[in-house]
Amino acid sequence: MILAVLFANAEGNILIKRFHGVPAEERLHWRSFLVKLGADNLKGVKNEELLVACHKSVYIVYTILGDVSIYVVGKDAYDELALSEVIFTITSAVKDVCGKPPTERRFLDKYGRICLCLDEIVWKGYLENTEKDRIKRLIRLKPPTEF
Amino acid sequence: MAQPLVKKDDDRDDEADYSPFMGIEKGAVLQEARVFNDPQLDARRCSQVITKLLYLLNQGETFTKVEATEVFFSVTKLFQSRDLGLRRMVYLIIKELSPSADEVIIVTSSLMKDMNSKTDMYRANAIRVLCRITDGTLLTQIERYLKQAIVDKNPVVASAALVSGIHLLQTNPEIVKRWSNEVQEAVQSRAALVQFHALALLHQIRQNDRLAVSKLVTSLTRGSVRSPLAQCLLIRYTSQVIRESGNTTQSGDRPFYDFLESCLRHKSEMVIFEAAKAITDLNGVTSRELTPAITVLQLFLSSSKPVLRFAAVRTLNKVAMTHPMAVTNCNIDMESLISDQNRSIATLAITTLLKTGNESSVDRLMKQITNFMSDIADEFKIVVVEAIRSLCLKFPLKYRSLMNFLSNILREEGGFDYKKAIVDSIVILIRDIPDAKESGLLHLCEFIEDCEFTYLSTQILHFLGIEGPKTVDPSKYIRYIYNRVHLENATVRASAVSTLAKFGASVDGLKPRIFVLLRRCLFDSDDEVRDRATLYLNTLGGDIEIDNDVSDFLFGSLDIPLVNLETSLKKYEPSDKAFDINLVPREVKSQPLAEKKAPGKKPTGLGAPPSGPPSTVDSYERQLLSIPEFANFGKLFKSSAPVELTEAETEYAVNVVKHIFDTHVVFQYTCTNTIPEQLLEDVIVIVDASEAEEFSQVISKPLRSLPYDSPGQTFVAFEKPEGLPTTGKFSNILKFIVKEVDPTSGEAEDDGVEDEYQLEDLEVVAADYILKVGVSNFRNAWESMDPDSERVDEYGLGQRGEGLSEAVNTVINILGMQPCEGTEAVPPNSRSHTCLLSGVFIGGVKVLVRLSFGIDSTKDVAMKLAVRSDDVNVSDAIHEIVASG
Repeated sequence: MILAVLFANAEGNILIKRFHGVPAEERLHWRSFLVKLGADNLKGVKNEELLVACHKSVYIVYTILGDVSIYVVGKDAYDELALSEVIFTITSAVKDVCGKPPTERRFLDKYGRICLCLDEIVWKGYLENTEKDRIKRLIRLKPPTEF
Repeated sequence: MAQPLVKKDDDRDDEADYSPFMGIEKGAVLQEARVFNDPQLDARRCSQVITKLLYLLNQGETFTKVEATEVFFSVTKLFQSRDLGLRRMVYLIIKELSPSADEVIIVTSSLMKDMNSKTDMYRANAIRVLCRITDGTLLTQIERYLKQAIVDKNPVVASAALVSGIHLLQTNPEIVKRWSNEVQEAVQSRAALVQFHALALLHQIRQNDRLAVSKLVTSLTRGSVRSPLAQCLLIRYTSQVIRESGNTTQSGDRPFYDFLESCLRHKSEMVIFEAAKAITDLNGVTSRELTPAITVLQLFLSSSKPVLRFAAVRTLNKVAMTHPMAVTNCNIDMESLISDQNRSIATLAITTLLKTGNESSVDRLMKQITNFMSDIADEFKIVVVEAIRSLCLKFPLKYRSLMNFLSNILREEGGFDYKKAIVDSIVILIRDIPDAKESGLLHLCEFIEDCEFTYLSTQILHFLGIEGPKTVDPSKYIRYIYNRVHLENATVRASAVSTLAKFGASVDGLKPRIFVLLRRCLFDSDDEVRDRATLYLNTLGGDIEIDNDVSDFLFGSLDIPLVNLETSLKKYEPSDKAFDINLVPREVKSQPLAEKKAPGKKPTGLGAPPSGPPSTVDSYERQLLSIPEFANFGKLFKSSAPVELTEAETEYAVNVVKHIFDTHVVFQYTCTNTIPEQLLEDVIVIVDASEAEEFSQVISKPLRSLPYDSPGQTFVAFEKPEGLPTTGKFSNILKFIVKEVDPTSGEAEDDGVEDEYQLEDLEVVAADYILKVGVSNFRNAWESMDPDSERVDEYGLGQRGEGLSEAVNTVINILGMQPCEGTEAVPPNSRSHTCLLSGVFIGGVKVLVRLSFGIDSTKDVAMKLAVRSDDVNVSDAIHEIVASG
């Protein structure tokens, strides 16, 4: 299960959050935990370099892309390697939508598109699509090219 | 003058410092949402408003019921637009708004229409939305379409239906299980993602049918799986099948091992890792099976990708717990990870190294860790401290450098949990390594001089009170303790007073001086401190006559589990009858089996109640001596760990502890009644000793009453030949009178029925007569023993499929002695191994054993056994035990 996908800006404000199977009362705790994790470790990290941590049986893979930090949390089948696949798909899609690693402004300009991409990639805790070209078509309601 | 032409730059966002959502306000957006109702829809504008709604939702904004309903109704009007981009947004916002059941009806017909649309993408999205918002009744209506969608030619439609199936299986399993055939067909799909989703769903549908899962795995491991993700799933399901089948083929190979091993050569790292992890997780994995997996994990250790390094070191860390020697080859790679930027990786590397390191590498390792400790967070430090504690217990000779390390980090900055972990570790080392006691106590004394945590100060003072008086020079601790009386808060001062009193009670020579100090405490500003000082002065000074019980209570260590004492005190109602501490049960309620098996339970540090039944000979001895029938049995030699005689979750839970005396054996049966509606009386265990001829039963002590969920004990004692390691097998039947209990009043009926309950058999084995007592330096101990007492012989142990380590463990278990210097661990693929054991034989005779093993190509194991002991007869006895084992 992919428990959470979170986008935050440089100040640690949440831009997009998606939780699946995390009780409402724990979400705030997870938010602050992840943001702190990023604040402690993401300084000076290159774009898309993956960082990883685990907390009990839950894995966290996170990275920075332009002004935006991205966190993916998973458990069971979604271990660190599966999550790195998820985050790779997310970063590729975001780059595709924004044209390059985004500034916060650009990210917000493309907010709707990014939400759609995320909707195609993770669906209620499961990975659904992995290829950016396909996702690009799907968010425009175009069938995939291989079909 | 003409203005220079400024080029309009698309990428001005780099400098723009305002957000498109700046000043966004819910009320305004809801106003804007009225554009959804326009007869002439502006698709672009509508999309922008939906984006704003999404942003608000993501910022944690909530809509009232009325607001949400209004927006939802307006959104449904957007189905009229033919703009694709807008339609896609509509699907998303409907899911985000998660409408209530009565609202869903409004949108259902539009979605049903889309689900039958010729446009594939409408179909896919409509399925996803419908499945998200639907309930069971609607599901039966659309089931037909979903089944068709699963085998749709368009992979997006098929995936949408399959992933919906995965979600719906949680809420409507009966319906989804009917799609089995379609899902089976989708597993064969040529689209990689469809296969992945279909495989996940099919497995979930069939997960309770072992045979079906096994067939699925068999067919797929032979065929081709298209995506790495699906391959990972297959590996997981395969390991599940291996775990459940549990047997090996006739050739001795594990079924599907070849498949796992072949996955180690897959081109995707994810698959390679999954296979390596699956292999390391195999039950009873052999060194031969482990080697290829360890090799790929070792390669990952030097990967440029942190995720791979992390995954590899995490897995190796786990392997190191069970097969430390298998991981030693990776030590050099792991050492370079100590400086890894990712602290999680560095910590895992260090703790793995601490598990796999040998005695000679300890000092080097400690040096590396010292540099590392300053720049990691407390939670990582705690992990390292716990690993160091285990290492020290493994290599007691190295206690000096490890203890120094602990005391150094104790002086540095850190939070409570971290400091507590260090203090707990020092306490455990003091308890388990006698040589470490003096230096450990002094480290603790120095720590409380400057300790900001009241809890830790009081715990250490309490511990000093127990251990300090037993040292060679107890007086040197007094200064540290008395300083607390001057410099600390009231809680710590009161603790210090109690500790001083304990020194006074245990060390006669110190008594007069302790009196002087205690008298000074009579002028303390705090009541509790003055009260304690007064109490101790009077009791120690002999002004008040006290009996042994009181003295034990004041100055002895309290051997009653605190939880039990607390429960009893709560139950006690004020009356003429005084509270009797002897009536407090000594037995710790046994945990449910699941909890007991929970891994990673760390030994508790000071002050904490023991986590199981009292395991030390001391407390057992006190308990047995309090029973008059056993008073003349002499000194208790050894008590075994509790042996369960019933399976988990049965009506009555019974375990037994074997107590060995010189001429007697006492079985202490702890019984728990798990049925609230029953009261058991006159509970006794009938023991049949026909397979233990040299034992004759002398006493059987029944338990008068066994109410629900309150463990009680019954004892049976046997006489046996003096000083000999007599063995035998005993069968047990629990016999009792059962009375029904009225659940409302809690009263038992007067009449009961006699009943009995078959328990498992119990054996007294040779290992019960040997105490596990380690020596800190085996070679010195061996050489200091009389060479004439040495007895050497050779034994053939036959073929051992699992290799040397199995043989070594078997012999250790037969003898029940303490392995020394980590020699119980056998390096993988070794052809020979030496294992050193030490112990004390019944009668208090020291024994040392040197076992040399060799294995040939046919896995035939030979062993040379050399024994030295204080008594030649004991050396012979050890040989007899091995020969008959």
